[in-house]
Amino acid sequence: MNGAQAVFYRDYRQRITNKTLVIWDLLAPLAYLLLFGSGFERMMGGTIQLDGQLFGYTDFLVSGVITMVTYSVAMNSSWSFFTDKESGIAQELLTYPITREQILIGKIGFNIVTVLLGSIAVIVVAATLLDASVRWERLPLLAAVTVVSTGGWFFVFSAFAIVLTRMDVFYASTSAAFLISMFFSSMFYPLHDLPRWFQGVSYLNPLTWQSDLSRFALLGIGEQRALTYEAGALVVFCTGCLIFAVRSLNRADG
Amino acid sequence: MSNAIVVDHLRKSYASKSGAPVQALDGVCFEVPEGHIFGLLGPNGAGKSTTVKILGTVSTPTSGSASVFGFDVAKQPLQARRKMAVVLQQTAAENMLTVQDNLLIYAYLHGMSRRDAQVRVKQVSEEFELGDKMTSTVQELSLGTKRRIQIAKTFMLDTPLIILDEATTGMDPMMKRRMMDRLRTEARSGRTILLTTQVLSEAEELCETIMIVDKGRTMASGTLQELRKRSSQMFRVALSFGDSDADLSRLLQSLNPAKLDVSGRNAEMVIHAEESSLLSKLADVSRTVPILQFEVRGPTLEEIFMQLVKEAA
Repeated sequence: MNGAQAVFYRDYRQRITNKTLVIWDLLAPLAYLLLFGSGFERMMGGTIQLDGQLFGYTDFLVSGVITMVTYSVAMNSSWSFFTDKESGIAQELLTYPITREQILIGKIGFNIVTVLLGSIAVIVVAATLLDASVRWERLPLLAAVTVVSTGGWFFVFSAFAIVLTRMDVFYASTSAAFLISMFFSSMFYPLHDLPRWFQGVSYLNPLTWQSDLSRFALLGIGEQRALTYEAGALVVFCTGCLIFAVRSLNRADG
Repeated sequence: MSNAIVVDHLRKSYASKSGAPVQALDGVCFEVPEGHIFGLLGPNGAGKSTTVKILGTVSTPTSGSASVFGFDVAKQPLQARRKMAVVLQQTAAENMLTVQDNLLIYAYLHGMSRRDAQVRVKQVSEEFELGDKMTSTVQELSLGTKRRIQIAKTFMLDTPLIILDEATTGMDPMMKRRMMDRLRTEARSGRTILLTTQVLSEAEELCETIMIVDKGRTMASGTLQELRKRSSQMFRVALSFGDSDADLSRLLQSLNPAKLDVSGRNAEMVIHAEESSLLSKLADVSRTVPILQFEVRGPTLEEIFMQLVKEAA
């Protein structure tokens, strides 16, 4: 077994033996989808208008929930950096014949598989139970957006988990950041009717970029030029986060 | 015989929490031939763990160099890591995973195939009496068992070098004995072992070469015999006295011993003296109280260690 495969297997065993994380990874986003999807759709009279077309609220919400899956899985995975520090494994890992790149590839690989499984579960539940629209032929594009975003979120959380020494600080700050950035984004509602300042802040948020690109993949909506900027920004964000994570990992060594 | 480890003028300094520079290692040099058991001894903060961390590629030296089987640990860390299994001072086991997962994942992370790892897990679990705990998660187990798992992990591999940083801490005496026997067997088969310990009797029993460090500097190094020679003016004397009204403690205190234990008609002391003057002092004592039996030996490692640390202080 090579180093990256072994790291992947290790993360898999850690996750499968921790039921709480499985619930947070998969069940929480599904609960959001079912409760908000059916609830808001009825409250808002069933449809919202986007790009001159009418969609059910659930259609709109699916990409937001996939973004949520991406964020939650990355956050939960980065907790393992703290458990590794506490158990002494973090230091011991540096004596193993594996490179830092293999550690990151194994970890990001496991995250991508988990996020893709979670996203498939969201799409299947949305399409079968909530009758949401899905453009199946564009799912590879959705997968590409999800993979790139997973990388970005995982790298940024990992970097913070490596730098911070207290798990409670990490948990409180990432949870607060998630709550705030979730609302300043297009995850759960369209931004076009909101105040300009709110839109301005939201368009600086990577959660908005991922949600808009996922929505374009799922429903085919969005302005081409804005989407191009958002795709570019997402790639820059992910690259920046990767550099930050690698630097943090290297700096963590004596 | 070629060297498994070469450490050359190793220095490591870092800033403390208050910002003041700390010199953890100050020009340490040593070599460990292949197949030897080498003991690194010293009080807390001596630099033992820093040396182990540098050799284990966990941290980098400020200056100087260290190599493992010819691979510079700072410049070729991956090649060096392929040659060693390292047990660091902190108990490192994955708490949420089972004992079996811990052993298997350790082997996988060292490049072992699934098949080989499964076979080795069986052998190691029997040897370290972990069979009935294989499906328990580590967090359910005692500290001693966690330590045992950590040592067992090392024997999952066939690396030519084993580095153990105070590995026997928290281990029960039976398991400690078994581990020491196993280390001896491994060394006989050609594996090199570097261990740090504060249990000097362990080092005395196991190590062919010993180095004593304090405050990042080498105090002494060599075989136990060589270290004893360094302390040639130090003797351990055991005496049995015949009946007498004389106060033994008072009488022996007059010889100015470094250490004295009197129990009934028996006494044991550590004394600094020329060999000839020691014998004449004992002859003087025998004029007051008859000496039935006496034995003069070289100092134990602990006594040499204490003397060196005292001298340095």
